[in-house]
Amino acid sequence: MLGIEETADDEAVRAAYLAAVRRSPPDRDPEGFRRVREAYEAVRDEERRLALRLFGPAPLDRLEALLEAMPDERRHVGPGPWLDVLRGDR
Amino acid sequence: MSKRDKRPSHHRPVQPLTSPEESRVRVESLIASGNTRGALDLAKQFFKEARSTEAEALVIAAYEARIGEMLAQGLYDEATALAALVGERFPAHRHRIVPLVRQSKAIAAGDLRPLLAELAAAARPRRQEIEAILTRELRDPRLLADADALAADEPLRRAARAVCDLFAAVTSGPLPEGALAALDQVSRHSPLAPWKLLIRALDAYYRRADGVALANLDAIPPHAAPARLVPVLRHLIGEPGALDQRSPAVGALIKAVSGGRTLLRQHLLRLGRALEARDPGTAVAAVERIMPLFDFEPVPVKRIFTATVLQHWYRLNLNLTPLVEALRRDRRDLDWQRETQRLIALTLERAGAWEEALLFWDGYLTAATRAGTLPAAGRAPARVLLHMAELFPAEREAVLDRFCVASEEDLEALIRAGELPEYLDRGRLLARARRVDPDPRVFQALVAHWATRDPRLAEAEAEAWRQARPRDLEPLLHLVRATERRGAHRRALDLLDRAEAINRVHPEVRQSRFRLLLASAERRIREGRFALALADLDRLEKEPVATSGDTSAYLGAVRSVAARRSGDGAAAVRLHEELASRLGNGTMLALILSSVAESFGLEPPDAPGPASPAETVQALARSGDLFRALDRPLAVPPALLARVEHDLSGASPADLHSLCVGGLYMGRPALTYAASGEGLASDGPLLHRFLLARGRALAAAASRRERDRAVLCLRAARELAGRARDMDAVRDASSAIDALARPHETAPWPLRVPVADTEPLATEEIARLITAERARRQVPTFTAEKARRKRQRAPRRPQRDLFDDFFAFLKKNR
Repeated sequence: MLGIEETADDEAVRAAYLAAVRRSPPDRDPEGFRRVREAYEAVRDEERRLALRLFGPAPLDRLEALLEAMPDERRHVGPGPWLDVLRGDR
Repeated sequence: MSKRDKRPSHHRPVQPLTSPEESRVRVESLIASGNTRGALDLAKQFFKEARSTEAEALVIAAYEARIGEMLAQGLYDEATALAALVGERFPAHRHRIVPLVRQSKAIAAGDLRPLLAELAAAARPRRQEIEAILTRELRDPRLLADADALAADEPLRRAARAVCDLFAAVTSGPLPEGALAALDQVSRHSPLAPWKLLIRALDAYYRRADGVALANLDAIPPHAAPARLVPVLRHLIGEPGALDQRSPAVGALIKAVSGGRTLLRQHLLRLGRALEARDPGTAVAAVERIMPLFDFEPVPVKRIFTATVLQHWYRLNLNLTPLVEALRRDRRDLDWQRETQRLIALTLERAGAWEEALLFWDGYLTAATRAGTLPAAGRAPARVLLHMAELFPAEREAVLDRFCVASEEDLEALIRAGELPEYLDRGRLLARARRVDPDPRVFQALVAHWATRDPRLAEAEAEAWRQARPRDLEPLLHLVRATERRGAHRRALDLLDRAEAINRVHPEVRQSRFRLLLASAERRIREGRFALALADLDRLEKEPVATSGDTSAYLGAVRSVAARRSGDGAAAVRLHEELASRLGNGTMLALILSSVAESFGLEPPDAPGPASPAETVQALARSGDLFRALDRPLAVPPALLARVEHDLSGASPADLHSLCVGGLYMGRPALTYAASGEGLASDGPLLHRFLLARGRALAAAASRRERDRAVLCLRAARELAGRARDMDAVRDASSAIDALARPHETAPWPLRVPVADTEPLATEEIARLITAERARRQVPTFTAEKARRKRQRAPRRPQRDLFDDFFAFLKKNR
């Protein structure tokens, strides 16, 4: 969610949090902001990060929840792979 | 003739011929209208009848048109075969047919140059045929954009350049606002129209406007070249079953665009279905396919998946071995091997399998510190060791039962003899934690561990804590209490001085000073040193604690005992009268005097006269608060207790709350139950406190049903306390819930009762619970004191059999 490394320090976590809040401001994307805030609360200080590293993560109630937590990625890969499909079956 | 030619023809039937001129006109008309089959039939009929040069030219023209149409329809094999036949039959016209064959083969090979060369000069209907071929065969718009055969300003080439640029742009990054306007030059009849729709669909897909994307995909004709991407895009959008077949290029595209998540999604769904059907074979196969896909994901996602699948697997009571093999597929990834061990430990502890969890934690800690993933000393290993210590059941007997030993000494002997692993010695775990990180949390756990087992060791740990962190107040307060308890008052006062040097106004420091002085006064009365005792009492009355609540009444009662013991009966009577006037409650006076007298082995004063229910309730509530604050025993006549439990009408919420707490302090859950019931009868700011008290009283009930009720009350109390920001109550409720956790009797694994359910209760659920509790009048049966269980050989637990297999597997793989 915050896109930080496991070794990130308080400063890096805070910076990542602020960047995420800019992407999901509470007034325009309350749900996104809630998720960002939750993620930040879990890693905001060293003690919490250590607890998460040693005793996390909590399992999800449903396997499907993992899918919900991972929205499908839509990467821009340039025209090549798309054209390969069009040319591929000759 | 191909099968396609056998299909019922929709063209007009050929009319009988009347003249050569008319035949020529009609054939050319049919060709122009696109009915090439009809034109060919008519031309062949005319040729058969006339056998003239003119008729031969007409039939050749009809063949050309027919072959062109077949090419436009993508019937390359058929067109090539027909052209070959025509070339054989009319060798003089082969020069006209050969280019058609060549063009057919080139198009089939994806080379559109001959076609584009022809397009430059083609007139209708040939131009339409060529455009139809382009619609179907143009698999890269750059072929058209770069076609030198077409003039640079040719509209189709210009449009192709725009399509080409936009296609590259839309697949490479978000399109700028208004970029799609460049597609306006592409008409809906253009061979580039399907590309226009594809670009719009791609733009919508990347903007996550899936409805728009699908609408554009729907509009792409199925025979158009871009239609090959329609099922792929549908699949990427998440339409189930959109993709029947998957070529390597399609697989690569999906993986590149979705980062493997589409595939991951499919396998996760398959795994979910397999688990639902309790089909471990299919589930393991799904896990085997899923694990490599996590190579593209952040490590935390892989961990969440592993923790989740382990949890589900465990709940379903399936054999863990094949799952763990699948999870630890890459034997070279030692970090992940350790992570799996840690995640298995967490799964086991969540299910209450504490001993097995300890085994895995120990394995993880050893492997992680050996590999350097965790440092050998410091906070991280200390946290793991503390965590391991916290896994032991709160009831020591449960540990002893588990290993069929009578005492902790026996257990330690087995550990010393090497018959049991070291990690089963909780004290050793904590001592290890202290060695690697002498942190207050570790010391706190150590002191708490030994406090109930060996107070001398607890004192020694508190002393070590004090030495390690001289500014910490907590070890000093523990030492004050410990030394006070064993009668070393001088030492206790010395320690208290040190505590006061750190924080004189700390409530517990003040309370300790007061308690110590009071103990000193009481000791001196017992020793007959009344003057010194009275001096102590004088000092006590000047302490800030003496002014709170009814503390001064207690001091007065102690003075009266001193007077009685010194033979000054008049002074004792005077003190009683003063106290009676100060308290304004005869029952309370009697409770205080009799409890204090009893603690000195004196006869209690005469019982007071009959009192009103309100006075009795208040007396018990206030006395309970007083004696609890001073940590002194309160002696309550059973008849008085019974009277209060049966008639609490008119008691104030504050008194009811005092009775709730007092009942628990005195070990009288029935009193707490009754007082909390009365408190719950009306709404108010203490509602969550009454729910907490009700839950704690029910926790002492004998039946499972009442204990389940207790869990609900405690969860509701915790929720309401959180909303009221009463964090003490939140903590009390949480620890009471934790204490209620117990192995589930029916589950194949020792799952805990649903107290682990951390979901907060909804407002409606809480309201229903309060209504139900208000309606419950019958007092449950409470277990006065848990009878010490006779130590029996613990029955072999069923999950052990399942583990045997798993442990054997682990031994092999560790």
